[in-house]
Amino acid sequence: MKLRAENVGRMYFRSSKNTNFFYAVESLDLELEEGKITVITGRSGSGKTTLINMLCGLLTPSCGRVLLDDKDLYASGDRERSLLRNRSFGIIPQGQTGLQCLTAAENVLLPVSMYGSSKGKEDKARILLEKLGIDDLWDVYSNELSGGELRRMSVARALINDPGIIIADEPTGDLDADTTVLVMELLKERARNGAAVLIVTHDKDVMPYADTVYTMEKGVLKKA
Amino acid sequence: MRFSVRIACKNIRRRPVRAALMCIIVLFLSFTAFMGGYLIISLQNGLDGYRARLGADIVVVPSSAQGHGTVDNVLLHGITGNYYIPQDSLEKLDGIEGIEKKTGQFYLTSAKASCCSVRVQIIGFDPETDFTVLPWISSSITGTLGDGDIIIGADIAYPADDCLRFYGESYRVAGQLEKTGTGLDNAVFTNRRTIRKMAESAAGSIERGSLRGVDTENAVSCVLIRVKDGYDSSEVADDINIHVSKVRATPSASMIGSVADGFGSVSVFISAAAAGIWLIAVVIMIAVFALMMNERRKEFAVLRVAGASGKMIVSAVSWEAALIGAAGSLIGLAVSLLLTAPLSESIRNHFSLPFMQPDIGVVVMLSAGAVIMPIIVGVAAAVLSALRITKNETGLLLREDA
Ligand SMILES: Nc1ncnc2c1ncn2[C@@H]1O[C@H](COP(=O)(O)OP(=O)(O)O)[C@@H](O)[C@H]1O
Ligand SMILES: [Mg+2]
Repeated sequence: MKLRAENVGRMYFRSSKNTNFFYAVESLDLELEEGKITVITGRSGSGKTTLINMLCGLLTPSCGRVLLDDKDLYASGDRERSLLRNRSFGIIPQGQTGLQCLTAAENVLLPVSMYGSSKGKEDKARILLEKLGIDDLWDVYSNELSGGELRRMSVARALINDPGIIIADEPTGDLDADTTVLVMELLKERARNGAAVLIVTHDKDVMPYADTVYTMEKGVLKKA
Repeated sequence: MRFSVRIACKNIRRRPVRAALMCIIVLFLSFTAFMGGYLIISLQNGLDGYRARLGADIVVVPSSAQGHGTVDNVLLHGITGNYYIPQDSLEKLDGIEGIEKKTGQFYLTSAKASCCSVRVQIIGFDPETDFTVLPWISSSITGTLGDGDIIIGADIAYPADDCLRFYGESYRVAGQLEKTGTGLDNAVFTNRRTIRKMAESAAGSIERGSLRGVDTENAVSCVLIRVKDGYDSSEVADDINIHVSKVRATPSASMIGSVADGFGSVSVFISAAAAGIWLIAVVIMIAVFALMMNERRKEFAVLRVAGASGKMIVSAVSWEAALIGAAGSLIGLAVSLLLTAPLSESIRNHFSLPFMQPDIGVVVMLSAGAVIMPIIVGVAAAVLSALRITKNETGLLLREDA
């Protein structure tokens, strides 16, 4: 699968001297290729999160289009876009994202159970948790997990449906060096299997895995 | 099971305190809806029964019976003393213009002693002139009411041997009347000849020594009058009050009026209380849901990230509200059903109003309403507050406290 952003930009309302809005992301083009890991770095507040939210269908751009295999993400309705996100996108958001009413296993299986039964995918969930070193937390409710454990849980959740597009916002921010390797090896394996991977990060340890590196500055994306 | 139902159940199970709190609010809604409806319908039934049973335009009672023994007292409370209209007053009534029908009734109170099976008001009517009791009785019993036969009100326990004893004599129960919600449910009806016999045996007893000297052959406790067409009940009643001494004539419209006024103010009070409780509970419910949903913005965002549509989230929230609502309103209904008897009793005693429980069909309808309405309110409050959040783009929800 291929994800392409054409002239995508996003403004927010914010009062300043002359205007009452500003562009967090200036109109830009970006292409995520199958089998490749793309990394975006940049200072905090430069627009990275805004950009990737637009790329995965969670934030409507102020201008431009986002195309998944030539299909305009924002041209379809909520239902269709949600289903597409469920099937084709693996999203690891910034911050902690565990549902407190579910165990670690149920959280990982959430994208599966949402549109059907999670039966038959449990083995897969277990393998993912094993690879991430938290298979012993299978039955533990997510509010009892540490930051790093929650982070790995959301990595497993993003990968459970074998998505063609993987988008991760600082996925190794709260991980130690060894665990970072676990996560990156998993993402690399996905890329090798054909997924297009995009990672936003400040982490030096992630750089060696990158096929392409961009830096973002004040909403402008530059190839490094 | 559908995803939205599953996630709703998990949320309830993992947040029992939150669920219990909502449950209690819903319980209040359902209790108030049921109780308010039940009491008002019962009072309305009582008023209707009272109106239907009166059947006369004017009621004439001895003026000595002021406050006691009046027909409205009999109807409302079933308690009277033994008071009788003097013979000369009765004769003077014949001279009053505008009377179409009149019939005398003789009231006798049975004693609570070994001579009588129950303490009740016994009402003797005159089958030849009666126009209020017979039409009612004939719809409740088959056959005729012979001498020595009695008919008992709905609240009197039907005797196993078909007989009740009054002042040492036994009388056959010929039938039981339908419930009216008035004091008549505690009365016994019989014809003039039979009640004369009772009065005579009573006069011989210690308990009713006061009857000695009363001309039981001719005495009447009250006269019920139907006014001729073209005459005004209150004018005829005034006429009687002016020209006939030792009696008091009351147009029944004014008696119904006072009961209806009582009914009006009590039902306004009940409706106002119910509406007040509903208003407060609904406001609390909306506020709690709004707060609860706000604290769940992040949770919704996570569901969205995993691929849930806005509809799925609203559906999950609706299920959660519906399940909690169902539990709360069923408990509320159970509490209501347990409390109907004692609460009805205290309303009836406190306000002295005719009161008749609705029949089972009405109770079933009330129950259904008391369960369904709070669920609808709860689901609506939940959906509205969930929509307020899901209308935001997930990209914006996600970054809050990220
Ligand atoms: N909802 C919003 N309203 C207004 N400004 C916003 C909003 N979201 C983000 N911004 C601003 O947009 C800029 C880019 O934010 P973000 O994309 O989160 O940057 P990064 O992820 O690179 O740290 C920041 O200056 C931020 O303050
Ligand atoms: Mg960011």
